[in-house]
Amino acid sequence: MTKEHLNTEFEAARGQLKSFVLRITASVQDTEDIVQDTWIKATDKLDTFKGNSTLRTWIFAIASNLAKDNLRAKRRWTEDVTDICKEAAMSNKAFFQEAMNIRMTSPQGNFEIKEHIAFCFTCIAKSLPLEQQICLLLKEVYDFKVAEIALIIENSEAMVKYYLHTGRSKMINIFEGRCALINKKGTCHQCTELNGIFNPKQNAQEELNKIEMHKAAQSAEKEHLFDLRMQVLKGIDPFESGATELQLAHLEHNRKVMENYLKKNAH
Amino acid sequence: MKYFLTTIFMIMTTISSAQDGKATTIKKTFSRATSVSINIKADASIIWALLTNAEDFPRWNSTITSIEGNIKEGEKIKLKVKLDEKRTFKIKIKEMNPEKSMVWGDSQGKRTFTLDKQNDGSVQFTMHEKMGGLMFPLYAKLIPPFDEAFETYAADLKREAETIQLTKN
Repeated sequence: MTKEHLNTEFEAARGQLKSFVLRITASVQDTEDIVQDTWIKATDKLDTFKGNSTLRTWIFAIASNLAKDNLRAKRRWTEDVTDICKEAAMSNKAFFQEAMNIRMTSPQGNFEIKEHIAFCFTCIAKSLPLEQQICLLLKEVYDFKVAEIALIIENSEAMVKYYLHTGRSKMINIFEGRCALINKKGTCHQCTELNGIFNPKQNAQEELNKIEMHKAAQSAEKEHLFDLRMQVLKGIDPFESGATELQLAHLEHNRKVMENYLKKNAH
Repeated sequence: MKYFLTTIFMIMTTISSAQDGKATTIKKTFSRATSVSINIKADASIIWALLTNAEDFPRWNSTITSIEGNIKEGEKIKLKVKLDEKRTFKIKIKEMNPEKSMVWGDSQGKRTFTLDKQNDGSVQFTMHEKMGGLMFPLYAKLIPPFDEAFETYAADLKREAETIQLTKN
């Protein structure tokens, strides 16, 4: 294995690696640092790569460990993160002004409902125990096999299955209760509300009808609706989309709100 | 030969009844003990993870309404069950041997969970609860029978663990 080979593989994986780390940490700065440190560590330790896995799996294992180190001392978010952050945003005029400014001036300042669905998942998945969140993303969004995930998180395949099943079940239950896109009685309409703010001339219903998960809501099983939600995430690179700047500013806002909230409500 | 066959039949009957998920209760003047045992085709680590994740319990175990606290040795948990929804049981986690056994207890009784790995890769799960003491006869009649809840508990655990085991690779 040569450094050139690693370089090629790393560049091929970089986009997904960044998106994976962002969805775990919810911090752009930490993501940049972790991805950079992953490259340094992979270069340093290249002679320890024995070919037991693909290079991509090995790179994700390094990044995953660094992300875990980064998050170890931080508390997990709560299931009602979107309620907490909405309340904080409503009382923060500066945040809305900044967001509107991005919307009006940035080439990556669009608001799209599907982007918000991915953003919303990132926030709520941070309420899962870290191992469950990592396994779920690796399997459902980045297409790793159970055996590969076991190598990445250094645990047995049985435990990976446990984390996957438990994390998935919990997320399905949360969305079933909250998400108005899949359940008429759902309590959260934030994606549609924000669409009304950022795209006032758009017909929200027309936009919603472009989303498979919403179209299938009446007829599909909740397991399938979750798969469709994961398809939305798979189709979005949070660093390379027309909505990147707006979504990342929003994510930064939510992260700060949650860090303050968790500090204030520490046991 | 006849004696041998009879013995084998008796042993097999004992094994199957011990693993069939049916609860048994032995009542005595100063104690009552209920047991259930079931064969689960899943890795012991999955069963152990299910039995030790307090927050996740109500999702898969229909006999339990909530568990507050951490299921760790020496810790205390607050348990609410469907059988007696108004009560909160304060229980201490007395012993934990990962993937093997666990003992919970309070002043009235002791519950033991045992995982026995079988040669075919499955696990025999046993849950046993014994209540008793000198005052037991005074309140024995107030405590509802556990048999049905124990059977549901074992069936729920089996269903959930086997579903997880079958997760696509």
